[in-house]
Amino acid sequence: MPVTFYIPGALQEFTAGHSRVQIEHSPKTLSEALSALWSIYPGVRDRIATEQGQVREHINIFIGDENVRYMGGLASPVPDGCEISIVPAVSGGGGL
Amino acid sequence: MIGQVLGHCRVVAKIGEGGMGIVYRAYDEVLHRDVALKVVKKDADLDSSSSERLLHEARASSSLSHPNICTIHEVGENEGELFIVMELVEGKSLHSMCAGAGLPPESVLRYGVQIASALARAHDRGIVHRDLKTANIVITADGLVKVLDFGLAKQVGSGIFEATTRSFASVQDASSMSGTLPYMAPEILRGEAADYCSDLWALGVVLYEAASGRLPFEGRTGFEISSAIMREVPNPLGPPIPPGLWSIIQRCLAKESIQRYQRASEVQAALEAVQSAGIVSAGPGSDLNAPKTTILHSVRHAQVRNGDFLLLVGTTKGAFILRSNAQRSRWEVGGPYFHGHSVYAMAYDDRGGQHRIWASTASYWGTLLRSSDDFGKSWTNPQQAPIKFPSETGASLKNIWQIALGRPEEPNVLFCGVEPAALFETRDAGETWSLVQGLFDHPHRPRWMPGNGGLALHTIVLDPVDDQRMYVAISAGGVYRTNDGGLTWTPQNQGIRAVTMPEKYPVFGQCVHKIAMHPARPERLFLQSHWGLYCSDNRAENWHDIANGVPSDFGFAMITHPRNPDCVYIVPVESDEFRCACDGRLRVYRTRNAGASWEPLSRGLPQKRAYETVLRDAMTADSFDPVGIYFGTRSGQLFGSRDEGRTWQKILEGLPSVVCVRPAVVGDAFGGVRPTPPKTPAPSQEPKSLSKSKTRRPNR
Repeated sequence: MPVTFYIPGALQEFTAGHSRVQIEHSPKTLSEALSALWSIYPGVRDRIATEQGQVREHINIFIGDENVRYMGGLASPVPDGCEISIVPAVSGGGGL
Repeated sequence: MIGQVLGHCRVVAKIGEGGMGIVYRAYDEVLHRDVALKVVKKDADLDSSSSERLLHEARASSSLSHPNICTIHEVGENEGELFIVMELVEGKSLHSMCAGAGLPPESVLRYGVQIASALARAHDRGIVHRDLKTANIVITADGLVKVLDFGLAKQVGSGIFEATTRSFASVQDASSMSGTLPYMAPEILRGEAADYCSDLWALGVVLYEAASGRLPFEGRTGFEISSAIMREVPNPLGPPIPPGLWSIIQRCLAKESIQRYQRASEVQAALEAVQSAGIVSAGPGSDLNAPKTTILHSVRHAQVRNGDFLLLVGTTKGAFILRSNAQRSRWEVGGPYFHGHSVYAMAYDDRGGQHRIWASTASYWGTLLRSSDDFGKSWTNPQQAPIKFPSETGASLKNIWQIALGRPEEPNVLFCGVEPAALFETRDAGETWSLVQGLFDHPHRPRWMPGNGGLALHTIVLDPVDDQRMYVAISAGGVYRTNDGGLTWTPQNQGIRAVTMPEKYPVFGQCVHKIAMHPARPERLFLQSHWGLYCSDNRAENWHDIANGVPSDFGFAMITHPRNPDCVYIVPVESDEFRCACDGRLRVYRTRNAGASWEPLSRGLPQKRAYETVLRDAMTADSFDPVGIYFGTRSGQLFGSRDEGRTWQKILEGLPSVVCVRPAVVGDAFGGVRPTPPKTPAPSQEPKSLSKSKTRRPNR
């Protein structure tokens, strides 16, 4: 079963306008799923992750309804056919 | 071919096939980026001279840097096969987007302006496209036009006319060459060489097709098409096509090249004039093929002309471009650009005849350096962040605080000061950036401490006389200087007090807010610290206090007068705890004797309950006579003085917090001085670099 990424509007310019992207093969972890996503749409990578490979501070990733920060981060297991949502955190957009 | 390595690119997948060759998606294993790889067919009828010409053209085209031109990274040869490595562009071809009834006029204008801008850049560099057509134009998902294959066309095959005619006549719908003939100018059909004017003819055909969905000159055979091009006039385009757009298309399609526009920039200006006339209505037939996200849809653009003066204003929620002229009395506002992103650094780069605006953007999606060559109408939005810390540093880029141009004789050199505190440089006009390792490896770095705004390298000052000397300022690390082109750095903080440290005069660790130098007197620097105003007359060897008569020596912004090296402007704020104008009175202070005394400049500025703050890069000066001084406040007000600070006017209010104000005099926006390509150093001259090691752009 493919896993499905839900892409926020701000990133759809890097997914050819798609709000959903399916990964055909079965990634075992979030890290593998993300690698597959940005092998197709490389522009997404630097928007989600820092150059050190960490998910950006104000970005949340949910596998189903669970925030991966509380599931094992990038090592979080990805169940077959699951839905992965990328959303900006409420805390973003601060500044002066 | 899949899996093979050409140059240093591993072929991943086939993504298309054209008359000239096959296009693959590939991965550059040196620069770690996805690229498009075009492999010229072995049966493409290339003799050795054609092959040389193709290589020559591709190399020339690789010098083109423009947001609307697909960049050529590398050309090479592998076992007799020519290959071209280029930017991977993803989107829809204009050909597919306008099929049917064509696009709405506003889309035609929006795309047309960008295509004309791309042609203008190429023509200025002496490169003719030769095969402009809707199939060679890609619209990315964010509405950015990318023109493909500059200079590559028609070096293949023994004859242009025969090849394209044969192709079109024999396979009307599927051949990759079909559709080329209908874009050919009459003079090409007569056997003359392609030039700028034949590109502008092709632009006319592209605009006609984009607006109507059909070609201006049609026929069942190549002969009929050629005949139509030579003799017929195209069917007129009526409403909803605005008459102005139809006039532009007609002039592009004048049979005699002398009757056409003579420069692509003229077409661009004409299209922009129709755009700004507001006679384009969206109408019910909205652009169904339009990208789902377009950055610049609702943005108002300033219509910039040669001789204009611009203020580039960065705020915590986007950027603005304000346009005026030498009078500086009326202002047109363009923007906001980068909705919701903080723009801490902007710069205008007119070296080498270009007119490029740089901006740094930061949001929860990361930090990017972006540029515009058309005064904000389009901006680069790179797939990969141009500035990144190497993985072995363990650091991640938070913000770009400063964009500094290199010296005039090195127009491809720029520097960026970033957070966490580090210096990056590019020597290829922003294509690749590298960390200045000499500073990053400084033994003091682990003991630098973040200030209120973070641990940032926010100021970069180049010595205009000694090309090996440069200063940077870090909050809170202090001033550092290199005398050897960046290999080694020394702290230059003697005499600067550090109120927040137990030792009041440490070697480093001062929270320096800004340093300023007058280019006519490079041995002297001025410094605004976190408590403290200083001057050095010996290249920052030591500093002396110049807070003589100011209401507070706390502040952020500091600039020098462009002509008087003894004249400096600051805006004091009350204290560390209360970072607002002293006594609620917004006053700029000026010294005209290098800090021996200061005078308040407040006429026209609010003097009651004005609890304003002017941040470190939010003040600037122009170069007119008398000099104009400008500053923005944290509350979103923008003030200006046309008489060197004697009187002030409010230019704008209601902006987000202003963090950056920069000037730009547009010397030649649309004509006059021709850009000159950067000089290539002689082979024996290794370009000076501040980086010990860096990723270099591959040889072209």
